[in-house]
Amino acid sequence: MPWYSGDGGLLKLTGAVGSVVTDVSRVRRGWRWSSPRPHTWPERGAVVPAPATDLGWARVEPVRTIRFLLQRGLLMPFTEVMAHPKVEGRELINELERPVIFAANHSSHADTSLVLHALPDRARERTVVAAAADYWFKRPLLGNVVSLFLNTFPFSRTGGAQGQLHSSSMLLKSGWNLVLFPEGSRSPDGRIQEFKPGVGHLANETGTPVVPLHIRGAHRIMPKGQKLPLPGAARVRIGKPMTREPKEGSREFTARIEKAVRALSEDAPQPDLQGSWIERWNASKPRDLPYD
Amino acid sequence: MGRPGAVIEVDRNTPPVMFHFGEGVRLEKLPLGSRIVYPPDPLEPIAHPERAVKRALAKPLEDDPLKSLLRRGMKLTIAFDDLSLPLPPMAAPDVRQLVMEQVIDMAAEAGVEDIHLIAALGLHRRMTADEVRHIVGDRIFATFWPDRLYQHDGEDPEANVYIGKTSQGEEVTLHKRAAESDLVIYVNLTLVPMDGGHKSMATGLASFRSIRAHHNAKTLLASRSYMNPPDSALHHSCARQGQLIEDTVRVFHIETTVNNHAFPAIANFMQKRETDWTPQDQAMFLAMKQMTDIAPPAFKRNVFHAMRAPYGMTAVNAGQVDAVHEKTLEAVRNQIAVTVEGQTDIVTLGVPYLGPYNVNAPMNPILVACMGLGYLFNFYRGKPVLRKGGVLVLTHPCRYEFDSVQHPSYIDYFDEVLADTTDPIEIEKKYELRFAEDPWFRQLYRKSHAYHGIHPHYAWIWAAHAMDHAGDIIIVGGERDVVHRLGFKCATTLEDAFEMAEQTVGRHPSVTHLRMPPIMLCDVE
Repeated sequence: MPWYSGDGGLLKLTGAVGSVVTDVSRVRRGWRWSSPRPHTWPERGAVVPAPATDLGWARVEPVRTIRFLLQRGLLMPFTEVMAHPKVEGRELINELERPVIFAANHSSHADTSLVLHALPDRARERTVVAAAADYWFKRPLLGNVVSLFLNTFPFSRTGGAQGQLHSSSMLLKSGWNLVLFPEGSRSPDGRIQEFKPGVGHLANETGTPVVPLHIRGAHRIMPKGQKLPLPGAARVRIGKPMTREPKEGSREFTARIEKAVRALSEDAPQPDLQGSWIERWNASKPRDLPYD
Repeated sequence: MGRPGAVIEVDRNTPPVMFHFGEGVRLEKLPLGSRIVYPPDPLEPIAHPERAVKRALAKPLEDDPLKSLLRRGMKLTIAFDDLSLPLPPMAAPDVRQLVMEQVIDMAAEAGVEDIHLIAALGLHRRMTADEVRHIVGDRIFATFWPDRLYQHDGEDPEANVYIGKTSQGEEVTLHKRAAESDLVIYVNLTLVPMDGGHKSMATGLASFRSIRAHHNAKTLLASRSYMNPPDSALHHSCARQGQLIEDTVRVFHIETTVNNHAFPAIANFMQKRETDWTPQDQAMFLAMKQMTDIAPPAFKRNVFHAMRAPYGMTAVNAGQVDAVHEKTLEAVRNQIAVTVEGQTDIVTLGVPYLGPYNVNAPMNPILVACMGLGYLFNFYRGKPVLRKGGVLVLTHPCRYEFDSVQHPSYIDYFDEVLADTTDPIEIEKKYELRFAEDPWFRQLYRKSHAYHGIHPHYAWIWAAHAMDHAGDIIIVGGERDVVHRLGFKCATTLEDAFEMAEQTVGRHPSVTHLRMPPIMLCDVE
């Protein structure tokens, strides 16, 4: 019997499987779970979560030791293999005298690992990461696991500034460095988005210096919407710690931080590529053209 | 030499035929006596495309060699087509990259300091940096992005200049940089006869003011079809505008064509006729069918949109626009033309997951209409395969599914405009300016990655000719409410669709299935 006769064989089997699938699909559509929502709308259930916990357990022993082992044994080697991160400016934060806020651009879930990888050991062990409460802590199990690995704490993106300030400033005052992504969410195309004023506000209120960081390449490793990372090269460039100028407002300070991160994103002129586009073009010429 | 296209008649031994079904596939048995039209096999690509480009630039058609046009101190602009072509996106390297690299090599040799590269996207969405990189290649991207390699913005008052009116009163605007250049080099990729020629500059570097002259219901209804430029009012209008542009600025056209090798090895069965399917092809089909039946839309979309087509370059021509385009069209027709005898009562078409306006996005209902009725229906020369008043049957899930980043104005168009009327002419009168001048849509077009506010209207009027021609349009497998909103009928199975069609075309209708993509152009005798 030919496979396409329609009277049996593979087609019949396919039909049987297909009918089950059709039923499942019908049920699924009945509740319209897959009905699309414009991306600009908030996620369903994206309300301000109650600050049930600030995950204090993640910052005490023996969890800190377990995290140290997990990071050293798993996270750092994995980051090294996937991204071969190149770190520039680490010497600027080797000897931090007091807690700082690390303000980095955000285009990927890989950013946090890259920032932690870039920090000196001493700084990393005393660093907490602000993670979006409405994203990471919607599911308590996920939030706790992530916290175990990365020392995250819930940071509300939708609540008022005072709420954010309280938990964050408590951490800063108790000696923890804080990693913040002032863009608020991951950039859809890898370009730096406008910074939200919270970082300047927090730094002003607590008098904490801000260290600008720029991460390049993370977007190619794991862009928004991608579930699994792909290997790719990344670079983390660390800037000089910045403090608030006298009479500088939160928004002005935020703008200055954003400018600093953008400045870090620019490539310093490379001696071999200096000059006009013609020189750059000729310098990048492949050695052996396949058609020559 | 690949086999030419074919028309086969369905008999008892004919295997069922594959229908594209959005991000999925279906296998359908057509009634005995139906015809299936298959596209030609892919032509053998040029063995050394780089050499062919070099030759074309050295010996252009009715123009001087490019080298002699380049000089130190000149203002040079290179414009190139955006990601709406080819479909699916081409596996790297894109032919535009091969061409542009050689043009830039020549410009560097000549010492041209002032050079800009502009993605001529007209009113399409801005591409992401990665999408631009895919088209131009790493080397060009690293050298020029973002200062000298950027994207056209049809709504930037500073970046567009008005250059005059044609003899028919069509206004023409042009990207300012191009208008002020000593030489504009346009690098095109022509996949279908609609592309290229004067249309490249007249739409790619234009603004709404200029594009509305031919992107309107009246012109589209008078284009029979716009896949055949001599019979297309759209192309006549573009040619008039293009001529005015050529009178204003010196343009050197480079056009490339590719074969129709549209699917990578993993989806090779889509490329083949069902009669040629091997057991591996059948297994691949079954695997894909089960995967697409079960997997959620977002997953399927990721899988499908990750496909890159192994197109091969079949021709490259450079020089004066008309001479170049004539050769280009000849090369395209060599690849996609199929002779079909006579019209038919019912035409069936599988609408695939991808059209020119939904790269990396779902195909929303308006784009389903645009793709099925606008593009696939119009792949004819002479007269449509469907007789006047016949029934057009499309297969597509046609879900209420929009990408709010790429298609924000489509949502309003579907929810508000199509709820009011589906008549393209009436819509144009009532809503054209509202959508075109909406400040929020304008902002999203300029700063985000959204199609221009007027774009859903263009997608809709693209289908105007088919809607006018067909007696009935049935979408198999679509969501009922969505299909009804489009003004079409909905059927669950192909058999139901044929049953419904009998009310319009009578008992025992003739049926023709156009097995696209890969694309083909039906020469209907």
